[in-house]
Amino acid sequence: MKRRLLALFIVVSALIPGGGDVNAQPAAGTKPPAAGALRPYVLPAVQTFTLENGMRVLLVERHSLPIVTARFVVDAGAVREPADKNGLAYLTADLLSEGAAGLTSAQMAEKMADLGAQFGTSANNGSAFVTVTALPNVFTEALTIGATALTNPTLSPVEFDRMRTSAIAAYQQGQSTVNGIASKIFYKAIYDPGTAYSRLSGGTTASLTKLTRDDVVNWHKAMYSPKNTTLVLIGDLTVESARVAAEKAVGKWNTPGPSLTPFVGKGLASSENRVILVDRPGSVQSAILVGHSTAGYETPELLPMTAAGRVLGGGFSSRINMLLREKKGWTYGAFAQFNPLKGVGSFFINSSIRSNATDSALAESVREFRRLATEPVPSVELADQLTNVVASFPSSVQTIQGLMGRLNDVVVYGLPLDYYNTYRERLAAVKPEDISRAGAALLKPNGLTIVAVGDLKTIEAPVRALNLGTVEVWDNDGNKIR
Amino acid sequence: MLFSLSLPSPAGRNSKSMRTLTGMALMLSAASAAPVALHAQGAPKVRISFTQDSLPNGLHIIYSIDRSTPVVATMMMYNVASKSEQPGRTGFAHLFEHMMFKGSRNVADGAHNGLLEKAGARAGADINGTTSWDRTNYFEQVPSNQLELTLFLEADRMGTLLETLTQAKLDNQREVVKNERRQSVDNQPYGSWLEKALLGVYPKDHPYQHSVIGSMDDLSAASLDDVKNFFRTYYAPGNAVLVIAGDFDLDNTKQLVRKYFGNIPRGPKVPAQRSLVAPATIGREIREAVQDPLAAAPQVFVAYRVPAARSKDGAAVTLLTSMLAGSSASPLYKALVRDKQIAVAVQSFNLGLIDGADMMLFIATGKPGSDAAAIESALIAELDKASSFIDQKTLDRARVAQRFQFVNGLQTTGGFGGLADQLAEGYTYYKNPNHVNTILDDYDKVSLPQLRALVSSRLVPTNRVRLVYTPAPKPAAGGAK
Repeated sequence: MKRRLLALFIVVSALIPGGGDVNAQPAAGTKPPAAGALRPYVLPAVQTFTLENGMRVLLVERHSLPIVTARFVVDAGAVREPADKNGLAYLTADLLSEGAAGLTSAQMAEKMADLGAQFGTSANNGSAFVTVTALPNVFTEALTIGATALTNPTLSPVEFDRMRTSAIAAYQQGQSTVNGIASKIFYKAIYDPGTAYSRLSGGTTASLTKLTRDDVVNWHKAMYSPKNTTLVLIGDLTVESARVAAEKAVGKWNTPGPSLTPFVGKGLASSENRVILVDRPGSVQSAILVGHSTAGYETPELLPMTAAGRVLGGGFSSRINMLLREKKGWTYGAFAQFNPLKGVGSFFINSSIRSNATDSALAESVREFRRLATEPVPSVELADQLTNVVASFPSSVQTIQGLMGRLNDVVVYGLPLDYYNTYRERLAAVKPEDISRAGAALLKPNGLTIVAVGDLKTIEAPVRALNLGTVEVWDNDGNKIR
Repeated sequence: MLFSLSLPSPAGRNSKSMRTLTGMALMLSAASAAPVALHAQGAPKVRISFTQDSLPNGLHIIYSIDRSTPVVATMMMYNVASKSEQPGRTGFAHLFEHMMFKGSRNVADGAHNGLLEKAGARAGADINGTTSWDRTNYFEQVPSNQLELTLFLEADRMGTLLETLTQAKLDNQREVVKNERRQSVDNQPYGSWLEKALLGVYPKDHPYQHSVIGSMDDLSAASLDDVKNFFRTYYAPGNAVLVIAGDFDLDNTKQLVRKYFGNIPRGPKVPAQRSLVAPATIGREIREAVQDPLAAAPQVFVAYRVPAARSKDGAAVTLLTSMLAGSSASPLYKALVRDKQIAVAVQSFNLGLIDGADMMLFIATGKPGSDAAAIESALIAELDKASSFIDQKTLDRARVAQRFQFVNGLQTTGGFGGLADQLAEGYTYYKNPNHVNTILDDYDKVSLPQLRALVSSRLVPTNRVRLVYTPAPKPAAGGAK
């Protein structure tokens, strides 16, 4: 067949005018072409200045397209909320855009629509934030309107009720998917209950139902202040125009800030592997998570751990994807990552697996986790994975939104301002022995939490038969039922 | 789509834009990277410059230089899609797309992605293949010194895919695609909506009537011979356009393109597309109530048959969709989410299908425990008075939203909806890559009377499909005894 096809190609190509005078298509055995000389990419330095009210501003100028984005990052994320007010940081931030400075929720939305600006407010574990993205001709106006959500939100009772209902609905929608259930159960299992990461930052039906408008008003009053906020600006503007826009938008805002101590997160260590199963009757796939809590952003092993996550499951050519998808055909994709947060973090494999392969995929995941933790990573494999992250960095920050994601981390995790200016060199320097050292200290192949959410009629007996560890069955709310 | 990055995250949700439409429409269509119109004073103008070339074997090439970042994007778009599929082979164009990543004469199985990742392309965002109803594309964005590698890889699979094809490779990707379907359709709440909407909106056996992902039975039936025939029929230089965008040297790149693609045979004449013509309206109202055991809350979908993207009303359809429910400032959002508070989210979009007929869709999501019938009647009531929402202010908002999205999308050289994608679609659909530079003008030409005529002729009860999803009792719990 191969020979006949080749013959056909040759005949046809000979008939194409001009087709014969160029080089033939590369013959079998041809190596891929070598790379040319790399044109260096320099990430512009982060410029910084302070507004008269004490708010810090970070700016990266980029003039290749007429577009600007701004984000106010407030240290009022879920890590700051009391454990019995789960969802408060998120609900407060969510409500900011629903009316401010005399404008109703609808009027704010209409003004932003008139300008063609994107506007949103939200919160996660690390921060609360207000984001405005617009073309430069309307940016200052959009920023000024958007900033009122931060400085002078109405937090009206009507909108409070509506947004709380909406947050509860979003929680329940999230819990109608296997991945939504699995991540909630996994985080509850691996983090200390006193640490916000053990809960969903958006809250649950039970926790949101208990929150009141007074909670939200008090939280905003206590936590939102210029001294507790960093404004990050990226795009087609200069230091001068940025300062003018920022002073106009928030220069008069002056509220006392909270006195905050550094957040300390805690994980739960397990001295043996344990399996947690959750029933989702009729599920044709199972969501699986295999991992544990580990060090956070502060660890000196940050980059070796990042590299380890990359090797195990960071791209298409990673170990876990090539095995579970390309070799076995059990999934559409399998991943792993080191997910550092403030104070503590996690390292895990995750995937959605065809139900009747759930047991096999868990066994392979545990095996791959152990291999990473106990055997040196071949230097060529490591170099390939690191080269990917290093060389794709310019693509990853090609959009202002992509770069905003990086600068958001700089602010939230207190990284040096030049962190991403030197990131590539530092990451490229990670060696196999660095991963071995970091893995020996921070990977726990005998302390794994193994979560599978799926159809227990199909998956429970085979998973139990694997003897991966103690097996518990939890309900959707994270209570052990047997 | 070849690959999707989806990691669960404790903060990975946002009640303001509930992403209940995971998967299908957005992942598999990518066909409606809708650009924009002009309204605001002093709005910046962005023009894309490009040059065109072609090889004797019919390969058309578009070059667009942008040196702002040292990256280059290669986009190969084939004029083949789910609409090209034979009866009994739904999902095949997309399954075939997966086979294009399984190696060819000089590329071992797994090496395509491996070489590109090693060169500095991110799986998913920079390297991918996507299949829609109207085209199939393959793309890679790399540091600009790796351009030649992308040409080598695209040419090797275009010229020699079948040399290393095996049954084992097909069986593997068939399973992967079945898992893609499980993940995006069968295991998702409301996952069947798109298939049901297409089934009702398009005439029986119309090429757009089935979903891109296809049915499990048809995926099971696909054979090695199907792969060979499909490749020989559609995958040839004369049926493709190659876009190279970003940081590159034009003369040198032209030589490389000739070197790698020049000797690939033109291939046979591509068979004519089965007719996409459809009557202007469905001719009746279709309603289906769906009991969904995965759903947490009621959700109502209303779909209409509307003029196709390439028709004179194509731009009007996109604007109308945006005007009615495209943002939290839209009239449907105001009525259902703010005033009546009967829904927590309202969304709208159109698929942007190019010929015959497009589909416009509205979705209202209820809260847990709410009454599906009440949501349905409220949504229908608003749609039935859609003409009263057609005014200058709403039109202006839709235009500036498109203008913003246009500039926003151009930040990416390759990838989904980026510069290379827009140029390739302009050529594939309009034989005119300059389409990217005139889309905003098309939106400016849409008039209020045109929009009102569209509403009165198409947003009518006898031209719609209603799908009413309600949470069904969960199946019995199980487990090992």
